[in-house]
Amino acid sequence: MRSTYLFLLFCLSTMLLNAQSSSFKIDGTVEDTIGNPLIASTVLLLEQSDSIMVDFTSTAMDGSFRFKDIEPGNYILKSTYIGFIPKTVNVNSQGDNVKVGTLKMTELAEELMEVVIKAAKASIVMRGDTVEYDASTFKVPEGSTVEDLLRRLPGIQIERDGAIQADGKDVDRVTVDGKSFFGADPKAATQNLPAEGISKVQVFDTKTEEEEITGATNDAQSKTMNLELKEDFKSGGFGRVIAGAGTEDRAELKGNFNRFNDKIQFSIVGVGNNTGRNGLSWDDYQDFLGSQSFSFSRGTEYGFGGGRNNFYYFGGGGGNALENSIQSVFFSGSDQGLPENYNGGVNFNYDNKKTQLSSVYYYNQAGLERNQLINHEKFYQDFVQNETSDRNSDDISRGHRAEVKIESELDSFHTIKIEFNGAHINENDISRGAIQLEEDDLLRSRSTYENNTNTSGDLANGLILLRKKFKKKGRSMGLNMSYLYTQLTDNWTQESTTNFFNSTEQSTSEEIINQINTNDADKKLFKANGLFVEPLGDKFFFQTFYNYSNRSESGDRDVSDFQDNDLNLNTELSRTYENKIAKNRVGSSLRYSHNGISATVGLAYQSFSLFGLSNDKSGLLTPLEVDKDFNNYIPHFSFNYRPNRNGYFGFSYNRNAAEPEIQSLQAIVDNTNPLFIRLGNPALTPEISNRISFNTSRTYPLSNIRFYVNGSYEFFDNRISSRENVDENFVTTYQPINLEGGNNTSLYANISFPLVVNKFTARVNFSGNRSSSPAIVNDIENTTTSNSLSPSLRLNITPSQDFTVYIDTRFSRSKTTYDINTSQDQITKTISYSAELSAKLLAGFYLNTNYDFTNYTNDRFNENFSIPILNSSIYRYFLPENKMEVRLSIYDALNRNVGFSQVATDLGLRRSETNALGRYVMLSLTYNIRGLKSSVKKNSWW
Amino acid sequence: MQKTLILGILLCIATSMAAQDIQGIVTYNRKVNWITIMSNLPYMTSEEIDRNKLTWGDNSKNKGTNFELFFKKQKSLYTYKPEKSERGYSRNGDKFVLIRDYKNKTTQDLVETLGKTYKIEDDAPKYRWKILNEIREIEGFLCMKAETTDTIKDQVIHAWFTDKIPFYGGPEGFGGLPGLILEIDINNGSSLITATNIDLETAEVKLPIPKKMKGKEITYTELNKKLSKYIKDSIEGEKNPYWRVRY
Repeated sequence: MRSTYLFLLFCLSTMLLNAQSSSFKIDGTVEDTIGNPLIASTVLLLEQSDSIMVDFTSTAMDGSFRFKDIEPGNYILKSTYIGFIPKTVNVNSQGDNVKVGTLKMTELAEELMEVVIKAAKASIVMRGDTVEYDASTFKVPEGSTVEDLLRRLPGIQIERDGAIQADGKDVDRVTVDGKSFFGADPKAATQNLPAEGISKVQVFDTKTEEEEITGATNDAQSKTMNLELKEDFKSGGFGRVIAGAGTEDRAELKGNFNRFNDKIQFSIVGVGNNTGRNGLSWDDYQDFLGSQSFSFSRGTEYGFGGGRNNFYYFGGGGGNALENSIQSVFFSGSDQGLPENYNGGVNFNYDNKKTQLSSVYYYNQAGLERNQLINHEKFYQDFVQNETSDRNSDDISRGHRAEVKIESELDSFHTIKIEFNGAHINENDISRGAIQLEEDDLLRSRSTYENNTNTSGDLANGLILLRKKFKKKGRSMGLNMSYLYTQLTDNWTQESTTNFFNSTEQSTSEEIINQINTNDADKKLFKANGLFVEPLGDKFFFQTFYNYSNRSESGDRDVSDFQDNDLNLNTELSRTYENKIAKNRVGSSLRYSHNGISATVGLAYQSFSLFGLSNDKSGLLTPLEVDKDFNNYIPHFSFNYRPNRNGYFGFSYNRNAAEPEIQSLQAIVDNTNPLFIRLGNPALTPEISNRISFNTSRTYPLSNIRFYVNGSYEFFDNRISSRENVDENFVTTYQPINLEGGNNTSLYANISFPLVVNKFTARVNFSGNRSSSPAIVNDIENTTTSNSLSPSLRLNITPSQDFTVYIDTRFSRSKTTYDINTSQDQITKTISYSAELSAKLLAGFYLNTNYDFTNYTNDRFNENFSIPILNSSIYRYFLPENKMEVRLSIYDALNRNVGFSQVATDLGLRRSETNALGRYVMLSLTYNIRGLKSSVKKNSWW
Repeated sequence: MQKTLILGILLCIATSMAAQDIQGIVTYNRKVNWITIMSNLPYMTSEEIDRNKLTWGDNSKNKGTNFELFFKKQKSLYTYKPEKSERGYSRNGDKFVLIRDYKNKTTQDLVETLGKTYKIEDDAPKYRWKILNEIREIEGFLCMKAETTDTIKDQVIHAWFTDKIPFYGGPEGFGGLPGLILEIDINNGSSLITATNIDLETAEVKLPIPKKMKGKEITYTELNKKLSKYIKDSIEGEKNPYWRVRY
């Protein structure tokens, strides 16, 4: 016990002793230059070696301060007082108390405080006794030079000849980002550089060479000014050219050039090839459109919000090449047939933060020569029909498209957007071939044809959109209107000869068609939409929307037959027509949104009003008229939950109503193709689809595992299906009808996970679909059900930047069953394997090789078809930064390329084979002003 | 000069009183610039950097996210400011509550990162501040500039603090400077947290400590080890780690 006390006493005394010998006090006072104490000024104690702050205190009423318990060492004591230049003294002590005496601080010029700090909201940097400040906040009119800017800065004077003085001393050197760009004349920089590009103006004493090295400071005679450029003003840009020439008359050329800065983006792109490869990529797309790449004019038809919004659509409208957007023609190309493509365009974007202007022009020309062998085997109740078609076509299409968009923020509550776009297309298709129909291996008809079609059309479209926010947070409004006008002229000649055969394969009759068709079609589409969102408390929102659209179409079709070298108008087929479809939809929804949960319930009332009038040109038949209204209630429900950043769950129910096409409603008999006659159906009602879907995803960042699952079930009321009859002459009559039944179920899942982090990653996909659709065939209702399963596995093996292997295996099995004839049930399978290997070889050479193998089988038809494709290339980089690449490639080394597809249809199997470009060797050269990435690793998002 | 003196005395009285029981609520706006963050990732080529700038470069539409710092009696709490979204959709911000006790130098933080919610009751992280000679005004307060570095995220952090508010904390858990931090600038604007409203008048500030502070318990040393590994692996795999880790 006693010893413990003694020990404690000993400890205490050593601690006290230690404290006395190893810590010290610093005392001092802070005053201004005329001796007034500076009260509550902050005094900092910094380590001398790295200026790290160790302690701080503030001065008392008499300006005095004290630091206690300071470890021995070398310090800098720094007194600071806002509005004064800081004062520093060195404090070195081995444990003795230090008195630093009085620190006299100099006040900053009032002008600097007022002008720089208060007015310009800029910062002031104090170095020793000199002061620098940020000039970017001094507002000067657009187009001003640095000289204009300098005139506004305190302490800087500009002489009449442009010479600069700072604090009364001459500025003899001007640098930009620390570098001397403009030689000896300082005026060259200040009189030529734009002020808006400058972020900082720094003025400091010009140091002599000796002072730079020794760090000594003398009273400098002159000053240096450094202009720091704004980060975003440093302009960027790209430029690339790829040229290649190969065997089999193959060649490709692609180039792009792009310059941009803070405000302006300019780019041009061009590509031409007859390989169908090396077309334009996503990178090219982004480099071309810049900030407009992902600014689609979507969502102008407002809806319930809170989930997927595509719950109604227009049937029959659009869909032709004329209405394709620039985005969709940018990536045009074909891997079948013999393509020849030319594309190019120019884009200009301007953005001054308040207003964005973008304008783009794009030309595309796609040529495709194809030979297709199509075989469609159809099962009927008591016979099999085999349709064989051999089709040669040579198509060429050209399109000009231009778009101008302006978006402007009028004030913090209003944004306006105006868009115009125009297009002109011209397409020329020539096709010839033969179609043969067999009934249970017995030839029933054979026709040969040659069609020549020319289509040209123009489009003009305008959109105006206004978004308004209100003072009340959460309240918002959107209004938009658009008008689309298209005009299309088709001219085509149709020559065909069809022979019909009887049961002994003897020709019974011959039908010759030799027609000239012209068709003028106009379309006008006006849309107006409104949306209003009102917050109800903190967690609820009430949303109301209204959609109106009015489409009117008119057309004039002339069909003339050649008979004995005379051209006679075919009054049965020649018609004029006029269709008007008006749609009104009004709806509201209530949304609960809080803590990552969002639930929406809504109801809309929708009405279609259809009017159609069709007149034949004989003047004898009564005009066909349709005048119908359809009204539907459309409920909506959606639920989303995002418990955290890494997980998501969504569920929704949507109902769609799609109005029938007017052509389907007209009691018209379309016998353009004598073997396939279409009938209208005035009793047709809209198809209603109901879709329930969910999706969920989860990411585990630490283990790099991700999974995603989505599923949906869709069922129909009044599904628009067909009634098909084949008569004894083997002529098919087709009529659209409403049928009950039919549904689609789908499930998709994927999971990706690393086996070795960053070196070996796997991704497993699974997709399953089941769909059943009813149709009436020869008066018997048949439901075709198709079940398909497609699992796939992908492996990324990336041990280094210089060696990678990517393996992809896919398997797809589809079973199709027919209720009327189960003996025709069929299973089609597609198995494909692909492997891509990239490696750096010796002497700077790289190798890239990929092998794709696809096998198609169908047990029912004894189908077994395989396509192996081997591509390989060897390349090397040249020039600094790998600016140039020379590549020698062989495509389809096994010469087995062909386009193949097999599809189980409602009634059988349709398979087609299309010719494709075979083996060729190509030497290509790439030049990229920004250099090429030498890593053989691909960007991967999973 | 006379004016300065009087002002000084007044301030001194105010601050000497306030030093013990200064309290207030400060709103900060945090704006993250993904383009500059991605541009600084080592695997990005100059062409990819430019492509990102070209396509997504306009950060002027980025309104940022608001946070609030409540401070009272040497304790502070920093978290998301509850806000109604303008489009009528509330986002579930990640769990992020930083509670600092400057007297005992401890943390009681709730942070969601790397797919988990962590509860960190630990000693407060120490920052090695370098004081720079630069002054600037923020929301009416003249501020001094200080600098520190974060080696895990490879960041240079600049703090603007004012000795006129003698509370030694700040946003994002930063503190230890001779005054309240009114702005944090990480890597030259890659992340910028600026005070937009300073309220020192509120009669009674109450730290809104959540009732449920549930999370996996961890120390800052352990968490930093995990973050460090994740950032290193992501960069090696050429992915941006900062989609999932607060920059």
